[in-house]
Amino acid sequence: MIYDPLPPGIEPVVPVPGYPNTWTHTPKQPLLRRPATRTERTAPLNLADKLGCGDDNLAVVAPGRIAIGQLIHVAGRVLDEDGRGIAGAVVELWQANAAGRYFHPIDQRSAPLDPDFVGNGRVRTEADGSYAFFTIRPGAYPVPVQDTWWRPPHVHFGVHGPATLSRLVTQMYFPGDPLNEIDRILQSVPDAAARARLVATALHPAEVGDQHLGYRFDIVLRGRNATPPA
Amino acid sequence: MSRLPTSEATIGPFFPRTFFRDGDNDLTRLSASAAPTTRGARILLRGKVTREGGAPLVNGILEAWQADAAGRFRHPEDPEAHLADPDFLGWGRAFTDAEGRYAFTTLLPGGYLDRAPHVNLTVMGAGLMRRVHTTVFFPDFAVANAADPVLALVAPAARPRLVALADGEEAGLRCLRFDLRLRGDATEETPFFEG
Repeated sequence: MIYDPLPPGIEPVVPVPGYPNTWTHTPKQPLLRRPATRTERTAPLNLADKLGCGDDNLAVVAPGRIAIGQLIHVAGRVLDEDGRGIAGAVVELWQANAAGRYFHPIDQRSAPLDPDFVGNGRVRTEADGSYAFFTIRPGAYPVPVQDTWWRPPHVHFGVHGPATLSRLVTQMYFPGDPLNEIDRILQSVPDAAARARLVATALHPAEVGDQHLGYRFDIVLRGRNATPPA
Repeated sequence: MSRLPTSEATIGPFFPRTFFRDGDNDLTRLSASAAPTTRGARILLRGKVTREGGAPLVNGILEAWQADAAGRFRHPEDPEAHLADPDFLGWGRAFTDAEGRYAFTTLLPGGYLDRAPHVNLTVMGAGLMRRVHTTVFFPDFAVANAADPVLALVAPAARPRLVALADGEEAGLRCLRFDLRLRGDATEETPFFEG
């Protein structure tokens, strides 16, 4: 596989206004360009055994214990830059509850915790790269800085692909939310098309049925074939 | 059809503790229930991650990846994958505590081709919009380190910052210390590589 430098506009630009950590945590010295040696071009291919996969329903924490919120199904494919599905990738997802609070000791906001929602899941992609989760639509929440701003509803994704160079952590947004246009994290991606790729596609209810709403979110990892597909 | 990669984003402050299980930071086991490999010299690789001003990185996530004790990967990109240690995973994940400390149980990696033995580390954290990448080298291999093409990219004065330090023993394991400074002046910041 070939791992090209990313075209301009795709990677977020820092510092992000109103997010001091984007300044204090980001290296000041220029990053060193290195050759992609074997260590960078490989990754564990059996990570699913280590991490444990199959937790694909965040909306039901235990039999009969259903999370509060709008039930949604999020599905898509993990692809390489040639558009081929990546089998056996580990997909991790985590998010706030319907009130916009995380089940995490660091989140001490006054919004309620839902005893029936933890908010994380992990699956392994199928042979065609597909994955799917049931969850609830997360709530928005304010960022606790002096000049308050709000995070739109979003879902964190972490994907472990076939090389450490293809490891990706990103966030998925919901179409049509007015907070998207003023979210400082989403808007830190300069290219409008790249931002649009972070927004899920709402499926028509006729395709999904009457039990939940459906969204599609494809994730493209770095890496393409040395020989382009014919 | 060619596709453009998805943009990176920060993991945020709330990467779930519930994602972690015992042994996730142990590279020597394929899974929590598997026995550790019997090959190689076991070590504890530990350190502290700080940000500008020396304050700790709290709830940062580190992922480690390395070759086995003979310098091989169980991966098609390694022509000797069939000889790789079948009981060694080579990958681990740790989170930093309130003091920014992390630890991995692993073994001394082997070198391959012109690469000195090394462990790749990536760090993710709140506000780190793109994860950072660095590489740990070991004091045991001074000759190989001097010939490593990646370490050679680092300014000579900064190279010692990529070499782990002897840090005693704990529970019979040899300890090596590797501290990371995410942001600092040129004399203190850890050298980082493009992804």
